Order: sequence, then structure tokens, then C-alpha cells
Amino acid sequence: MLTIYGRKSRFCDGISRRNFLKIGALGLGGLTLPQLLQAEANSGIRRSHKAVIMIYLPGGPPHQDMFDLKMDAPSEIRGEFKPIKTNVSGIQICEHLPRMAAMMDKLIPIRSISDATDDHTDFMCMTGRSKRNQPPGSWPSFGSIVAKVQGQTHPAIPSYIGLEPKMQHHPYNAAGPGFLGVAHRSFKLEGEGKPDMVLNGITLDRLADRKALLAGFDQFRRDVDASGLMAGLDSFNEQAFGMMTSSKLLEALDFQREDKRTIACYGKGDAKPHGDAAPMLMEQFLVARRLVEAGARCVTVAFGFWDYHGNNHKLAREDLPMLDQGVTALVEDLHQRGLDKDVSVVVWGEFGRTPTINKDAGRDHWPRVSCALLACGGMKTGQVIGATDRLGGEPAERPVLFGEVFATLYHNLGIDVNRVTITDLSGRPQYLVEGGCQPMKELI
Amino acid sequence: MLNRSPFNSAAAFKFTLLVFVICFASTSKPVESAERNQPGKVTSLQLQVQTSSENESTQMLHLRGADSRQQLLVTAKFDTGEVRDFTRQVSYESSPSGIVQIDKSGRATPVADGTATITAKSKDGLLATISVTVEQSGKVTPVNFPNQIVPIFTKTGCNAGGCHGKSSGQNGFRLSLLGFEPTEDYEHLVKEARGRRLFPAAPDRSLLLLKATGTMPHGGGKRLEPDSDDYKLLVRWIRQGMPYGKTNDATIARIEVFPKERTMTPDGEQQLVVMAHYTDSSTEDVTRSALYEPNDKDMAKADATGLVKVFEQPGDVAVMIRYQAQVAVFRATVPLGAMVENLPTPRNFIDELVFKKLKIVGMPPSELCDDSTFLRRVSVDISGRLPTPEEAKRFLNDTDPAKRDKWISSLVESPQYADYFANKWGALLRNRRTAPTQTRGTYAFYSWIRDGLLVNKSYDKFVSEILTASGEIRQNPPVAWYRQVNNPNAELEDTGQLFLGMRLQCAQCHHHPFEKWSQQDYYGLAAFFTQVGRKPGGQPGEEIIYHKRGLATATNKKTQRPVKPAGLGAAPSNLSPDDDPRQALADWITSKDNPYFARSLVNRYWKHFFNRGLVDPEDDMRETNPPTNPELLDALQKNFIESGFDLKNLVRTICESQIYQLSSVPNQFNKIDKQNFSRYYPKRLTAEVLFDAVNQTTKSESSFDGLPRGTRAVALPDNSFNASSYFLTVFGRPDSSSSCECERSQDASLAQSLHLLNAKEIQEKLAKDDGRAALLATDNLRNDDEKIRELYYRVYSREPKEKELALATGYIHKRTDGKDDKAELTVAKRQAYEDIIWALINTKEFLFNH
Repeated sequence: MLTIYGRKSRFCDGISRRNFLKIGALGLGGLTLPQLLQAEANSGIRRSHKAVIMIYLPGGPPHQDMFDLKMDAPSEIRGEFKPIKTNVSGIQICEHLPRMAAMMDKLIPIRSISDATDDHTDFMCMTGRSKRNQPPGSWPSFGSIVAKVQGQTHPAIPSYIGLEPKMQHHPYNAAGPGFLGVAHRSFKLEGEGKPDMVLNGITLDRLADRKALLAGFDQFRRDVDASGLMAGLDSFNEQAFGMMTSSKLLEALDFQREDKRTIACYGKGDAKPHGDAAPMLMEQFLVARRLVEAGARCVTVAFGFWDYHGNNHKLAREDLPMLDQGVTALVEDLHQRGLDKDVSVVVWGEFGRTPTINKDAGRDHWPRVSCALLACGGMKTGQVIGATDRLGGEPAERPVLFGEVFATLYHNLGIDVNRVTITDLSGRPQYLVEGGCQPMKELI
Repeated sequence: MLNRSPFNSAAAFKFTLLVFVICFASTSKPVESAERNQPGKVTSLQLQVQTSSENESTQMLHLRGADSRQQLLVTAKFDTGEVRDFTRQVSYESSPSGIVQIDKSGRATPVADGTATITAKSKDGLLATISVTVEQSGKVTPVNFPNQIVPIFTKTGCNAGGCHGKSSGQNGFRLSLLGFEPTEDYEHLVKEARGRRLFPAAPDRSLLLLKATGTMPHGGGKRLEPDSDDYKLLVRWIRQGMPYGKTNDATIARIEVFPKERTMTPDGEQQLVVMAHYTDSSTEDVTRSALYEPNDKDMAKADATGLVKVFEQPGDVAVMIRYQAQVAVFRATVPLGAMVENLPTPRNFIDELVFKKLKIVGMPPSELCDDSTFLRRVSVDISGRLPTPEEAKRFLNDTDPAKRDKWISSLVESPQYADYFANKWGALLRNRRTAPTQTRGTYAFYSWIRDGLLVNKSYDKFVSEILTASGEIRQNPPVAWYRQVNNPNAELEDTGQLFLGMRLQCAQCHHHPFEKWSQQDYYGLAAFFTQVGRKPGGQPGEEIIYHKRGLATATNKKTQRPVKPAGLGAAPSNLSPDDDPRQALADWITSKDNPYFARSLVNRYWKHFFNRGLVDPEDDMRETNPPTNPELLDALQKNFIESGFDLKNLVRTICESQIYQLSSVPNQFNKIDKQNFSRYYPKRLTAEVLFDAVNQTTKSESSFDGLPRGTRAVALPDNSFNASSYFLTVFGRPDSSSSCECERSQDASLAQSLHLLNAKEIQEKLAKDDGRAALLATDNLRNDDEKIRELYYRVYSREPKEKELALATGYIHKRTDGKDDKAELTVAKRQAYEDIIWALINTKEFLFNH
């Protein structure tokens, strides 16, 4: 007998309400593929594409106060947080991340990112590359590359969507489409293009009139263009009209359509920007999930402001629980919806923070080691990657490069980093990650 | 080197064997379907072995040594005169048997010493023969590592950039990229890791082979079949004790492909034969060891055995062939085969050569475009603007037969020509402002570029002045080029890409994979820039560029040896420490004999007007990326040099041709044409032109920081205005960060559509109180018909059709009917015009130059 699981609805109250569909008693043999697909469609399951949700923590979060507590270090290094056990024996993390601790079997903390640079920018976290020695036009973001290489899954949903606002500290917005060109830029829901998405000074009726008028005038023969550009323009125009009226994208963006309990799981965020960086909207994690479900391949979110030069522990005590709730809700949600094999999640910042706590009770920039959290995407979760020395200052085991994490994410999307290249402006084929970076064997 | 099939020195060259067997076969039954729509009856079959283009015919095929192989070619001639490859359509026999073996693909392998006759037999009984002599078939010779082993790694992909060929190697094992450094490969393979990779005592058990055959787990999977020739050769090499080869062994000099070009039918096939020529004049068939890559994968594919298959699309396709560091090209023309007649009278050599090509391809061109289309097209292409309605009306009513030429001339002489081309060159010359202190420099450089274009400074002088620029920006603006292009590598790479059409970056670290250029060539060019001195200029952000006295030499990154300055393919220059090497470089580049300089410029301009280069991309003019119409490129080059590098003359020559004035509307044959210029290929208006056109249409003015109101976007002095104009950014105005035209993004995107359809910026332009819509709505002297006519002239330079007029006036009625209140009526009318203009600027006819 074939059982196709429908949309499971387990909520944070822990009760699972699973609806499923049973078809015949013959197993797969009695079912053709179209029937199977139809059955899937009927039960609300699509053939899923692969996607990545990237959560950037601008400012550089304190690695030793999150996933790598150093209880053997002197107190000026150790800090005041205590480790707690997780549901994977042998792994301990910070007491202010209790929800992550309770689902450590679904997570992968990396303790030994080793090639950060002392530069407040999203560049490394978005491109996996150093800003030095860039090709003309600069390195493209991960999402731009994915958009270029894999295209769109659905004509109405851009491949690469950026939910982060334009942050006040400009380098936090540094990464872009690079040499791939503006057409592969993330579709930004905040920022300069945002006003274009709502009707500007005209009514819906008038828009409908205009659209009809345009259709009447726009009779130019499309077959004069063999390049496909005109057809592409038509399709984008169609999407744009959809967006201005109502559309799949807008629906996906409206997380209020979600079940109240699901929304509650993610918690209530804070919409005002923290520091010179981003707001802390866990709701955006939910939006990211909805966008991915609707067809996006890469969704980026920026979350909070982690540059704790003063009051490190006080700020972390406020921020970590929000991150904890948002990330665990997202991971749980992905699992519940059967997307855990398809959607990879990565959470990280541009560098770690100094082992020694400074005079202002803060921690300063520390690029020599930093941390990351991975989840889902079919990776082998429930393990910690790498370790730092006694003081949390240097990678001691398994130093990990940003590029290796990116190679893993590409792998999860089905992109072979050893084969696929993109051509830069000088005509040179460029690999997607720095030379030598391979998908992490421990994870795939 | 004995085991290559050596055709002993000079005598060996007399080898191309041509056997024609004219067969008067009475069987007239049509040939089997495998041969697809054959044009008629096969009249002769030709079995051919060609080893060098220097000799025409050979008496017989010699196979000497156990490793010798020879790919045969069988060509059928039809009664229609057509020629087709039959190599895999015939059966082979050799008599007596047991001397040589020929497989289905026509590859001869020696079996035993002796002489035999090979007969190829077609399905309808035609025969062709060749004699073969096999010698030393049992002789096993020492393997030569660079010539025989390394190519195996290239063919199987082991040393590709994604695997062991990348600079860090793969899982601890490293090979040089594409085998360009055989000595290093030898070290890594034989000596590194305590020799664990090879096992002479039991060659089959060598790690190398166990991995490559997938017997042991291998990240790269199975790359080699245990029963393949390559595998056997590797085994033998290991068994022989891994010889490297002797120092006096011959090395490869060049490769040659047969046939070099061929006219093929849609869906046709062609077997290639690739011969390697060695320094000792011997030759070897390397057909199975070479790599094949078509330049247009929509048009052809090639497999590992050298079999090329073309698809249905007519036109030209080139297959690049690589073996060791050598390259060759096979060119196929796939004709459509339609009758090409009643061509317009050629106006210049461009027409003659394109028509000639179209006749070969069998693709009739579209008709000549009408006056409106021409006027709008050429105005955008030369001056980056739409014609005004007055200009359009005047032009359409003009009965002078020379009016098109006159209009071209007036455009070329207008300041807008200089604006538009300065905009193009400013981006390529990286006139980039990244800090406010650079403003003086970018403005000065821009003016210098624009002034040069305006007075039509000859192109050789223009380039020479940039390359040799010394002093301060204020006195000598082109030194600004050295501000963004600020080290010898960048300087030579930009020079190569921009002025020579050569992308040389690859050769910085290894031999160029698709070109003949080596690191030596790269550093020879870099050496010209090694004496560029820099010191702080008059104000922050500026520099003084000067010649730093000294002998110009660059260091070859690989060999760490000094390299003297030398132009590509030219002898090294002997310069004294007092000579500015950049002057020598400029002299070499701008010389009339330079094979690349004029050629790359005419190709770049061709692309500007036709949206596709004769070589495309326009700055990738390598040997393995041949032009679609070589004669035309030659002729344009010659014409440009003879004119004294006159850019305006070039623009006039191109625009006056009938080819440029063909309609973009396809006929029944040329809809899929993308490279023969049988019609005009529409292109989207660039960000700047579109921005200006929208302003012109809506009667709005731009306002850019620090520039007079109404400055046109095509006349912006540098890239810095992109940051404040979302319109320009989203439509892809380049940031002047690269010398490649490709930095300009001409792709469509959702953000663009949203902006043009719905942006506040656009809505404000439409709804301005003194804007076009308001003006038209309140104009009581003319009726709506006339006003719509004016709009049509404004956006399309043409009369509206009846239907269009009816649609527009109908819309105005719809919005205004029943509105009695005067104020209400005025508003409604104005809104109606806003909507009409909005619709017009969103049509494809507006957004494209067509």
C-alpha cells in the first residue's frame, strides 16, 4: 500500500495532526507516474525543487557564547553563560538557546570557520569569497549564481529573493550580482524597487484600462526577435501586472495567511532596525519558507545586529532567544512540511568575537575563528563540525572554509562545483567556489 | 618517438592517398534512410589519408609500430556536385586479411607486417581503395610521457580545472591544468607520495589505474575503460619503468585538422582527422586523443572520436580542436538551400560580401526597411536618441534619393554622435568615479574622449595617446586610464581585450587553453607596462604618471625568468632604459600591419550596429572563435586601415550599406538567422537611451547631481550617476569596472518591468503639469487625431495605422464621454493622454531598436 503523507500539521504544542492519503493496496506497481503526481498534487505535495534559506547575522555574532562555550577558560574569557545539554549526547550549547538544544539532532553547528576577514560586510556570507583580488565586476552572490545557473521554477516567482532591508552600514549590503549583471540581482522586497510593487497614484481600474490599451498598441511582431528577449519581457510584464494586482508572490509574502499557531511558533519579532543593521523579524523566516515553497531557490534574510563591542552578554541575553525561537521554528516547520530534504538553512555572520571580554563588557572583532549553523537540506544533522582551542581563539580541529559551506550548499541544490562554471567579464570561466573547496564530506 | 606513425621525414609527407573509383553502377535504387535526404545519386567515393595540407596526394598508408593508428576519411560525391562524409556509411575490408584491421568508424590499426589493400564499399556498391603497408607491428617502443601519457589525462578530464588540474589539486593529487606542464605532472605522478601512485611490479595494480577505472572508490568516477588503448598504453608505460622520454625527443609543433571546412546538410555528420606534427617532421594521428568543442552548441556537437554532428539551424559553426597546447579549427557551413535572388543593388563592399555569404548559405535576406524604421534605427545607433517629430516628418516627405546618406552624415557630424560614443568608450576605458576626489579626472577624461570623437581623431592616435599618457590629469586627461587600470597585468589585459580583441587573462598562470598564447607572450606584453611610474598628483585622488627610467622586463610567473617586452607574435623589442616602453607598444599596436588592432575595432563597431559581432563576443577574437564572414571582416579591416583609422568613415560605411538597412521582419526563410545578417536583429534600447527617450516622449527633464538640468543620460561623464538613478541601475548601465562591453547588462528582469510599468518616477513624468500629456490635453487648436499622430511620430517616427488611431481616440472618448463638468473633463482628458503615453512607452516597438 502506498501512503502519501499530506500536509502534516504539528504545532508547537507538540500535537501532530497528520492527514494522509491511502491509495489502493498494490503499492507503486499499480500506479503510473502521472497518477502519482496527481495524487501528490491532490494531497498538497508538489515535486519539490531544492532551495537555500540564508540567515545573515550582521556584525558578527559571539561564537563562544552560542555554540562553543569555554568553561575551562579563565573568567575574563569564559563569560557568564552556562552550557546546557542538547538532545544529542556530547553536544552542549549555550543556555540561551534551549530550543536549539532540544532539536540538536536536526542541526549542525560549525565551530571552526577559519577564513573570515576583519571587515563588517555580508560579502563572505553571501559570496564565500574574499573581497581581495576580485575579477572585474566583482564576485556574484550565491543566490545570483543559483538564479543564473538554475533559472526560475515558476514564472511568477523570482529565483533569488532578498528580504533584508538596505542596512544603514552600507557594507552590510555589499554583495550583489557581481559580474553576472543586474538581471541576476536578488529581487528585493525592501529598498529602491519596493515602491514599484504597489500602485503609484493610479487606481486598479485605471491599471486595467492601461493594460488593455497596452495590449492593443503592443502589436509589434515578436518574431523579429530570435533571441527570446522580447518574449522574456512579455513574461516579466505579465508577472509585474500580477504583482501590482494580486499574485502568487504577494500571497507568499503575506505570512498572515498562515495558520495562527504556525505564526505563533515563530514568535513576534521587532521591526525596527537594530544598530546600523537589520531588524529582528522571525516572521521573515516564515516568509522565506513560504517563498521557497512558492518556487524561490534562494532567500536571504538579515537578522539583528551582533557587533557587541559593549555589553556582550546583556545583548546576547536579549537577542539569542529570538534567534533561537525563529531558527528552531523554521527548522521544525521545514521538517513538518516535508521540506527538510529540499531546503538547506545556513545561519552565520562575518566573523567571530574576541575571546577576552573588553573593558566595556563587550567582545571585539575576531576573524580568526567564527561559527555557523546549518540545518536540513538532506545533510547529516546532529553533529558538531570542528573545534577551537581551549580559549576559543583558534580552530583546533577541522578548520572549515566559507567556500566549503558554499560548496555543500551548491551540492544540496544539485549543482556540481567541480563542473559548473560561470564566465566572468574577461571571458574566464570561474568556478563557483574558491579552488579546493569541496562539499563537506561529513555532511553529505 | 618511434611508436608514433612516423612518416620518415620528407618522403613521409607524400602521402595523401586519393583513390577515386568512378562507378557506373546500374543500380539506381535510392540509398538507405540512414543517409537522410540525399541530394541525388552518389557518383564517386573517395578514400583519403591526408597527413599534411602541404601535400595533396599519397600513394599509400604506412602504419609503423604497434601504436600507430590512422583514421580514414571516405567522401562521397553526388551527381549534384555535393560532397558528403561517408566514413561511417561504408563497410571496410582489407585483403589479404590479417594485416590491418579497420573498425566501423574507419580507424585502421596494424595487426601484422605486410601489405594489403583496404576497400571501402558503400551500400549501393561503390568502391574506393587504398594500399596499406604495416611495418614493425610487433615493435614495442619506449613511451614518451609528454606526448603520449599527458594527453590521456586531458582527454579523460583528469587534469581539468574542476579536478586534479586546479592549482590545489584534488584530494592530494595534482596535475597541471590541461597538461601544460608535463615535467610537473611527471614529478607528481611518479615521485610524489613516495611513489605510491604507480606500481611497476604489477602495473595493473597501480593506484592511478585502480582509481581511473573505478576499481577503487574515486571521487571523479570511472574515467578509463580497462580494455581501452589508453589504458593499455598506461600499463605499458608503467611496465617500461615510467620513462619520461629523452631530451632530444621531438615535441609537438602544431596540429592540423582534415577537412578544414565543409558544407554540411542539416543533421549531417562529418568525421574529422586530426594530425599532430612534431619537431622532427614526423606526424601522428591524434584524432582520438584530441578534444572537440563547438563554438555554438545549439548548432553542432562533436564526440570524442572526432565525429561532428550539425543540427538543423543553418549558418556557420566552428569546432575547436585542442591537443596538448595546440589548437585547430574545423568550420562547417550548414546552408538552408533556398534560392537567393532579386537582391537589392549592392551599395558597397559590405553588401557584396554579405550577399555572397547569403547565396552560399541559401538564405534570402529580408526586404529593405521603410524610411521611418531607418530613421529611428540609425538615429538611435549613431546618436543615441529618437528623432523629433519634425525631423521625422521632414525626412519622410523628402524626395531626395540620397536622403538616407545625408541623414547619416548629419548624425555623424552632430555633437550627439560624440556624446553617444563617448558614453560607450568611457565605460570601456573604465572612466570610473569611486570617490569625490576623482571628479576632476573623470570629467577631464570624458571630455578628452568626447572631443576626440567630435573632431574625429584617428583611432590609432586615440589609442596611442591613451597608452603613452604621462603627466597630470589636468594637462593630459588620458592618464586617468592608468588610475583604474593600475598594474602591469591589468594594463596588458585591458589592452588585449579592448584594443586587440584578445582575452589574455588565462595566460597569466598557464598556457592559454584556447589560444596559441603562452605565459611568455603574456609577460612579454606585461613588460611594456613595467616602467610606469606613479607619484601623487596635484590633489588627492590624482596621480602623475611618468616613465620610470630603467630596462623594461617582466618576470614570468612560472619560470621566474625575466621577459623582454614583445608584442603578441612579434620579436622582442630592444629598448634602452631611456625609452618609454609604452611608446614601443603603442607603435606596435597602432601599426598598419598589426593583425589585431583594426580588426578588433571594426568587429566591435559592427556589433554596435548589428547586435552581433562578425566574431562574437566581440572581444574574444581568438583563432578558435572564427568570424562568420571572414572575407567581410578582412575587407572592413582593410577599409578602416586605408581610411587612416577614420571612425566616422567606418560608421558611415556601415550605415550606408543595404545590409544595415534591411528590415528586421523575417521572411519565411530567415526567422532563425542569428549570424548571417540576412535581416536587422532588434536590440533593446540601452538604459541611457531609454531614459532619454522616456524623457523626450513625456517632455520631462532629467536632473543629475552637479549637472545642468536636462542633461541627457547618454551624455553623463562617468558611472557615478548610476548610484542616484534607480532607473539607470535597473536597466543595466555599466559601472565602468571592466573593459568588456558585456558589463552592460541587456537582460530583462522583473524589476525593470515593474519600474517602467509602475514606478512613481514614471508616473510623475506622465502626470507633470507641464508634461506631454497635459500639453496635449489642453491643446485646443488640434483635434485628437492630429495629437495622436504627433505622439506616434515622437515614439516610432511613423504615422499611426487606422486601427491604432481608432484605439487611441476611442480610449479618449471612453474616458471623457459623459463628463460635462469642465474641470472633470480636463482631468479625464489629461489622464487619457497619460494612459496612452504610458502604453506607448511600454510597447516593444518603443523599447527596441528594430
